[in-house]
Order: sequence, then structure tokens, then C-alpha cells
Amino acid sequence: MIAYLLRRVGYALPTMLGVAFLCFMLVHLAPGDPLVSILPPDASADLQKQLMRLYGFDRPLPVQFGHWVWRALQGDLGTSIATARPVVHEVFNAVGNTFILATLATLIGFTVGSLFGFVGGYFRNSWMDRAASVVSVIGVSLPHYWIGMVLVIIFSVQLMWLPPSGAGPSGSGQWQWDVAHVKYLLLPAFTMSFIPMGIVARTVRALVGDILAQEFVVGLRARGLGEFGVFRHVVKNCAPTALAVMGLQLGYLLGGSILIETVFSWPGTGFLLNQAIFQRDLPLLQGVILILALFFVGLNLAVDVLQMLLDPRIERT
Amino acid sequence: MRLKIRSSLLAVFRMALLSSLSTAAFAQEKVIRIGMTAADIPRTSGQPDQGYEGNRFTGITIYDSLTQWDLSSTSKASEMIPGLALTWNVDPTDPTKWIFTLRPGVRFHDGSAFDADAVVWNVDKVLRKDAPQYDPAQIGATLSRMPTLRSARKIDDLTVEITTSEPDSFLPINLINLYMASPAHWEKKFAAVPAGITDKAERSKAAWTAFAADFSGTGPFRAAKFVPRERLEIVRNPEYWDATRRPKVDRLVMLPLPESSARTAALLSGQVDWIEAPAPDAVDAIKKRGFTLYTNLQPHLWPWQFAMQPGSPFADRRLRHAANLCVDRAALKELLSGLMAESTGIVSPGHPWRGEPTFQVRYDPAAARKLMIEAGYAQVKPARIRVQISASGSGQMQPLPMNEFIQQNLKACFFDVQFDVMEWNTLFSNWRLGAKDPSANGAAAINVSIATTDPFLAMARFVSSKAFPPVSNNWGYFSNPDIDVLLAKARTAFEPEQRDRALAVLHARIVDEAPFLFIAHDVSPRALSPKIKGVVQPRSWFIDFTTMSVD
Amino acid sequence: MTSVSAVSQPHGDAGLLPRLDAMAVRSPSHRARVMRRLARDPIAMMASAIILALIVAAICAPWLMPADPFATSMLKRLRPVGTPGYLLGSDELGRDMLSRLMLGGRLSLFMGIAPVVMAFVIGSAIGILAGYAGGRINMLIMRCIDVFYAFPSVLLAIALSGALGAGITNALISLTAVFVPQIARVAESVTTQARRSDYVEAARASGASATIIVWQHVLRNVTGPIFVYATSLISVSMILASGLSFLGLGVKPPEPEWGLMLNSLRAAIYGQPIVAALPGVLIFLTSISFNLLADSLRMAMEVKQ
Repeated sequence: MIAYLLRRVGYALPTMLGVAFLCFMLVHLAPGDPLVSILPPDASADLQKQLMRLYGFDRPLPVQFGHWVWRALQGDLGTSIATARPVVHEVFNAVGNTFILATLATLIGFTVGSLFGFVGGYFRNSWMDRAASVVSVIGVSLPHYWIGMVLVIIFSVQLMWLPPSGAGPSGSGQWQWDVAHVKYLLLPAFTMSFIPMGIVARTVRALVGDILAQEFVVGLRARGLGEFGVFRHVVKNCAPTALAVMGLQLGYLLGGSILIETVFSWPGTGFLLNQAIFQRDLPLLQGVILILALFFVGLNLAVDVLQMLLDPRIERT
Repeated sequence: MRLKIRSSLLAVFRMALLSSLSTAAFAQEKVIRIGMTAADIPRTSGQPDQGYEGNRFTGITIYDSLTQWDLSSTSKASEMIPGLALTWNVDPTDPTKWIFTLRPGVRFHDGSAFDADAVVWNVDKVLRKDAPQYDPAQIGATLSRMPTLRSARKIDDLTVEITTSEPDSFLPINLINLYMASPAHWEKKFAAVPAGITDKAERSKAAWTAFAADFSGTGPFRAAKFVPRERLEIVRNPEYWDATRRPKVDRLVMLPLPESSARTAALLSGQVDWIEAPAPDAVDAIKKRGFTLYTNLQPHLWPWQFAMQPGSPFADRRLRHAANLCVDRAALKELLSGLMAESTGIVSPGHPWRGEPTFQVRYDPAAARKLMIEAGYAQVKPARIRVQISASGSGQMQPLPMNEFIQQNLKACFFDVQFDVMEWNTLFSNWRLGAKDPSANGAAAINVSIATTDPFLAMARFVSSKAFPPVSNNWGYFSNPDIDVLLAKARTAFEPEQRDRALAVLHARIVDEAPFLFIAHDVSPRALSPKIKGVVQPRSWFIDFTTMSVD
Repeated sequence: MTSVSAVSQPHGDAGLLPRLDAMAVRSPSHRARVMRRLARDPIAMMASAIILALIVAAICAPWLMPADPFATSMLKRLRPVGTPGYLLGSDELGRDMLSRLMLGGRLSLFMGIAPVVMAFVIGSAIGILAGYAGGRINMLIMRCIDVFYAFPSVLLAIALSGALGAGITNALISLTAVFVPQIARVAESVTTQARRSDYVEAARASGASATIIVWQHVLRNVTGPIFVYATSLISVSMILASGLSFLGLGVKPPEPEWGLMLNSLRAAIYGQPIVAALPGVLIFLTSISFNLLADSLRMAMEVKQ
């Protein structure tokens, strides 16, 4: 088991380096002047050179990459060009906000998705199964940003129940789990919950179906175990995988929420990424993508390891 | 166990109560909450970014400059009036030197005095590279608006000498854009930078970052709360030097909401009391819910700037005139639900700089086709042109539908228009590089909207042969010796009336040469809650928040 | 059971991957059986009919369109659904919605299908190579794939398009780059299974050359499962592409495309909510049809012989 652990971590390290390289190159593919947001329209060549040196854009790419990785290892991702604030600060604030949003969204998505999945798995190939799968397929087929806009029209503009944008009545600085703050969270979280809902439903349906089809369940039933007992058995057996999927979905939502965060002006990672792209803020862009991707790699690793600890029977290839 | 649950329930209840109480306290305070079009809060350290919207919200509210706009009239173009300077005049023996006499007794929000040293310090922050407060991030929005400014020198505590690179009568108007930040407050931030940061430039950067979060100027509002990228709150400065302009509201809250339908939703749901630039298609719905729409002509031009270097189809003046005759501006106005003014020049009739152009910009497609045929084009042989446009951007109004509309219009006059749609920053940087640069991709025109607040911004930078890229914004390499002479005349006319007369002659000549396809002026629409009273919307990019009150 | 990290993307389907072993190595008669089962599935038939209708409408748009989709009319803008001459209303420039939706289907469907087809070809080639070669080469290829796989698909698509700039070609490139690693992973796992199967072992033992083995056995047997997986990506691709257009990173105007139309009608949602919602309805309809078809296809193939 230790050997497996080491091997799994060993795999993750080169992946992380590759991810860093990709982030770096991605951003340097970008056409346009990296200093566009602060360089005056009539900047002299001299001033431009000075600024390029100040921001380190004059050095050869491999040197810049090495420097960037070296500083990143020390927890310094440079400063945003547009705002002059440290990128690490900006990204971690945003990760915190997205985490709040993604957690609630995952919870909603997981609860509803499990429900549909259970119904589908229990009554496999019946009309209820088909109905449940159609409903869960609706979840993955909707453009989520569009659902967000429709919800804003209904609940904010028409009914005036919930605010349409932002993260709390006085900004995201002091998030609290009280009514005034959660009101801001409901619409984006509900919109976002559609993303994990479909996949959770499908996973649970497949798991439940598999477990019920296994011979020993048939045996348990034959020996007179009640439906509730069977249900408990099923839950116990599919929980590790379902929870693992939930964990991964949470990780996915941390990086995959750009459209929803943009629609709701939720000050998270997706919102930050959108700003970095449109302001051509290279250090910020690199920083956001890097942190999100590394987080995703780490989460994959953690889930794999946890799952193996919970259920050592899982075959490793 | 049960007790524990009860007590935690109580805690939750108490928290809810507290938060509702604080909302109640919030409601008693007179607050205006504003949804801006900017994607981020404009820079707060003195020289705002995000175009003139930045100056509107984090410039004139927090800071003052030596000269300022008079924003009290809704019916005539805003004029320059004294600000932190009482009087100014050019040195009769050397027209590159100006003497400014400062207003006595003005204090910054931190309590330090505003004096000649502060003026020199603020000029140095954007000009003197070896000054500790030199801030590369702030020069972008500053130097391009005062290109001839060179240096400042203290004569006595209340007198400053300012030097320009050449005689320039526009300088006092340009200086409206140089805001006076508090040197004493900045020095405090500078001294507090951790000793671990040793690099001089890095220390200065860190001090400015700290200053931006806790800023100090002389303006009618002062710092209260700053949440990066989300909101800025400023509160009234009860000791503002101009007693007639002490704010009547307690607090301004500004939220960046770049997407127009999101702004509309924020207004209709009661999240904000004021939005900038509501989407034209939402105007009816907004009015129906009882909000007030304010508009007024703005010193702004939404043009196509023509490329005129040899080889470009628009090097031929007949094509420039034909295009100008082929756009149905009245129908375009309808498209924008009336939220634009038809453009017939850089400035409109009635403006002191208007003059009397010979060429009348109007909708006359028959005349346009005649010019096109003369120039050798026809339905079967259209002029193929490529135009660089953006999908959005500050001052760009509704770039996509407007450009598509013009594209359709021009088709009737034998123009086959293709668009290069790019992101606003890219378009803007291409604009600086000029029509001959590879980035222009052979474009015959570019659609960058412009502020026309002062003579330099309105005219000089587009028509002077000294303003070719990368020096300034003469993107299309327009050059005409007569116009260069007229411009020099205006620049050296130091009497305001004489200067305006010279500018009117220059403007008429520019319209005749048509370096632009004149299309629209923005009318800076904003939708406000009816509870905001005393709103005066001037013919300006700016608005005075001190006249407003809240019921 | 395989590792769950394969399902970290919301469309990396947990219900699908464990079943690949049941699908691999099939005879031609199986294919006929699958088709017969599909034909008897009402949902599959309905989804196919909708997709077919949309494709026909898009391809034949130039002949079927009731009006010029580019002709603007300022006086007739934002007409409601059912206005004479504007069956589905008109957009913010007074262009006929029905015509634009039909023509817009071309780009939207193209942006749904083309990246998946390209990723199918490239990803399968990479995956089959890795799976067949095994050992160090497999390791090297799969580690590189992992790097791309480390990005949530939306993040990768938006970051790539953001870096490359707006435009159809760039959107196509970034979407393809999103799907290649996912398809390659599936292809690799199926190929590895097939390689270890009796057929291939037998063929190897009889001394057949590598090319022939790949061609005859592996390729024939693995394309089915990869194909099923790829079908389920089409709707993902459509939604991602429309999201890119929505952010201003995809198709450029005046070209009609559903995501872009949705974006430019955003402001009209207060005046003409139904017209403004139409492109969204079509994106949803297409996407759900592809999803249901992919589901049915998988179920039809899953059944034990």
C-alpha cells in the first residue's frame, strides 16, 4: 500500500510541473502587449523598455519560466499588472469565495442527484428509471449560465426576493452564514448544482444497479432480509464511490464555474479568471490557472488515496 | 445536548437580528449605491484607470485638481473653472512657463496641508523617474492627457511654476486630469513598507498599493471601505474646502457591474439605486418600474477613424465623404432607443469650437453613390474594406449592433465591409500602433470611441502630422499642412476667446477633410431611483455628487 | 472497477467506463443487434428525429429560410413570436429570428460536432498507440495526457480561447484540446484491454505483424466504445462552445450562432423574454437529444450477448 501511495504521488509531481509549464506557455501564446493596461498610448520606447524590465518581460522565456516557478515554490506569484496587488492574495480570496459557492452547490447537487440515482437504480429499466434519467440528463444538457439568467429574472427582477449579484450585503470580505449573506448565495449555488446533479445521478444509478444485481444481495433477499435492510446494505456499499465522485465534483466546480460566477458577479476564481483574460493581466491569469489546476491534481490524488484506504479491494492499474 | 442546540439556535437568531439591525442603521444613513459599467473598481490612488468613468467615480469624488469643470449647467458645454488653483497665467516672456496661484487653507483628508510642495510632488509622481513616488502604473492614464507637461517648480508656498515642452494654451484644461493626492499620507505608507522589501521600485509599488486601499485627497468624499474588485465605499468630507459643495448624502457605494443586463437586474431588484448606461432595450422596462432616466449630450465621439496612408481606399476624400453621407443616423438612434445624438462633426452645432464646415454630414445615399461612381466603384465593383471593432469596451456604446447596422447601410453605397472583432484592450493597443502596423491587418478604419473634452483630446491628437503612431492617436496617418498651421495657431492663442475662435476654424476644416466617419455622440444615459433628488446632469463625462440628496 | 478520478470531469461518465470491458471485442452481428435495439427504443428514435431535423434545417437553411438572416430593420426590431412575416419574432436588429436560428444551427452544430470528431481522430490515435505500445511509451504519453486532464474542461477551454483570442478557429482548437485527453484516456484503457484479450494474444502467437494486429483486431474492436463515449461529448462541446460565444470568446458577429444570439439578446430579456430565450431553448433541445441518444446507444451496446 505504501508503495502504491508513493507511486501515486510520484505520478502527480511531474504532472504538476507539466501543469505549471502549460499555464506559463498558455499565457505567452496570447497576442497583444502584456502591459497594455498600464502603458500610456504615447509611451516612448524607453519607458516601455523600462516597464518591461520592471515586470520582467524582457528576459528570455525559459529564464522567465524558471524564475516564475522558483518564486511560485516560495508562494509568490508576482503582482497583478492591472491592480498592483499580489496575485497570491487575489487568488486565495477568490478560492475562498468559490469554495463557499461550490460547497453549497455540491451539497444540493449531491442530494438531488442521489435521489434520482437511487430511484433509477432501484427500479432499473422501468418507466421510473427512464423518467429519472431524463430528468438528470436535463441537468447536464442545460447551458447553466442561461439558467442563471432566467432565475435572476424570476427571483430578483420580478419577485424581488433574492439579490441578483455580488457576495453579501457589504462585499465578500466578511462572509457569514446568516440570512443576509446566504440570500446572495442561493441563486448561484442552485444554478451551479445542475453541474454535479447529472453526474451524481448517473454514478449512483450505476452503483445501485450493480450492487442489487450481485448474487449475495439476491441471497440476502432470499434469506428474508427486509427492503430496509437491503437499502442499508446498498447505501453502505455505494457510499465510498459516490462520496469520492462528490469530492471530485467539488474540485471541478472550483475551476469550472467561470460562466456562473460571471453571470452572478460572484467574486470567485471564475470571475477573477474572466477579469484576468479581459484585462490581459498575465501574472494574474497564470496564477489563477496554476492554482486551480494544481488544486485539481491534488484533489484527484487525495480522492484516489482516500478511496483506496476506504476500500482496499479497488483494483489499481 | 438539547440545551446546546437551543443556545446555538439562539446565537443564530441573535446574529440574524444583529444583521437586520445593522441594515436598519444602514437605511437611516443617506446612501447612494451605484452600478458602474467598469469591470473593476477604478484605481483609487489618484490617477484612475477605466477611462473617464474612472475619473467620474474615483477622481473628482476623492480628489481635486488645479483646474476643474463647472458641472452646474445642463444646457451648455461644461467650462473650466478654478479648482485648487485660484488663478493662472502664462509667463509673458516665455510662453512655455505657467504661473499657478494656489488656494490657501485647503487640507487633505489626513489633515496635512495642500501647498506648492504637494503640487510638485504630484507632478513628479508621473514625470520624474527618480522620484520615490514615481508610479509607472499611474502614468498611462495621465501623460497621454497632458502631453506637453514637463515639470513643476515651487516658487513659494502658494505659487507654482509649470513648464511645458512647447507653448500650449491647452495646458490648464489638460491639468483637470491631474489629481492631487496627499504626499504626507503616502510617505506614511512608504515608511510602513516591510523592511524585507529592499528594491526601491518594489517599495514604491507596495506603498502605492497600501495608499490605494486607504487613500487621501482633498475632495468632497473620503475613504471608508474598499473591497478589491467588488465595492468601494466613500463617505462625505464635512470639512470640504468649498462650503457650497459639501455633500448632502452620507455615503456613496460603487459596484463594478460591466454587463448591462446584470446592471439592469441590480437596479430593478433594488440592489442599487443608480446604474450607468442601461441597455437601450431595457429602458422601457426600467421606466415602467418608476426609475428616472437622465441623459445629456456628452463630449464623446463614436466614429470610424479612417486609414489614409497611400493604398488605403479612404486616402480618396470622395470615399470618406460618401461613407459619411451613407449612414442613416436617425434610424441608428432608433436602434438605441434614442440613447445617442447624431454626429455631424467632432463637436455639435452650438459648441464654441464648432465653426462652419462646408461639407454637411447628413444622410444622402444618392449623393454618396454618385461620389462612389466618380471614384470608380459600382454595385458589381464595391470598395472592399476591413474595419477593426471591439465587442465591448468603455465608451464603445453598443459596438456590435451599431457596426452591423452601419455595415448594412454602407452596402447600399458600394462598400463591402468586413469586421475584425477583437477584445477591447487588443483594439486599443492596435489603435496606438497605427494603420501601417501589421496588427492593423490592412484595416481601412478602426472603431475606437473618443473623449472630446479638451482641444488636444478632441482634435490635435488625430490630425496633427506630429501625432503619427506611436507618438499619439493619429492612427490613420492623416496629414494636411493647412490643418497643422491652424492647430499651431490655436495652441498659441492664450486668450480664451481667441483660442476658441481658432479652434472653430480648425474644426470646420477637419469636418471638410472628414478623417472620421462621424456617427454618434453618447448621451451618458443613467437610470436613477426617484428617491435621489437634486440631480444635475451636465454636458460632460462627469457629474457632481454633492448636489444630490436622498429622500 | 477503475479509479474514480476518471470521472473528475462532469461528463467523464462513471456509468460508462466500468462497462467498457463488456463492450470490447464484438462481432459484426452484434452491431446489427445494437441497431435493432436502438430502433425499438422510442427515446432514441425521438432524439434521432430531432437531431436529424435540426441538421436538415441547418444544412438546407439557405433554401428554407423565410427571410434574409442578415437584413436589419430598425423599425421592426424585437417583434414578438407570431408576428406576421416574423414567425419567431425578430432580434435586436430587426432580423428574422427563424431564419437566424436555422442558419445559426450550422455553426452551433458544427461547434458541437467538429471538435469531437477531431478529438476522436487525434485522441483515438494517441490512446491506441499508448495502449498498444504499453510500457514506457504508454507511461510517457499518458503522463502528458494527465497534464491536460488536470484542468477542469471549462477552465481549459476558456483559458485557451482567452489566450488565443476570439474566433471560430481558436474556439475549435481549444475545444479539441479539451476533448483529446479525455478520448485518449478511454481509447488507451479499451486498447489495453483488447491487447490482453485472447484474439490479440492468439494473433501475436501466430506471428502476425503489429500493423495487422492493430488494424484487424484492436481497431475494429475499440472504435465502438470510443465512439459511444465521443457521442456523449457532443452535447458538452455544444454547451462549452455556446458558453465561449456567450463570453465573447467564440464566434464573431454578424454570423448567427445560438450562444452568441443568446448573448446579444440578453438586454432584450426584459422586453421580449420569449424571443430572447429561443436560442437557449434550441441549445437545450439539441444538447438533450444528443445526450439521450448517447445514453440509448450505450444501453443498447451494454446488453450481454
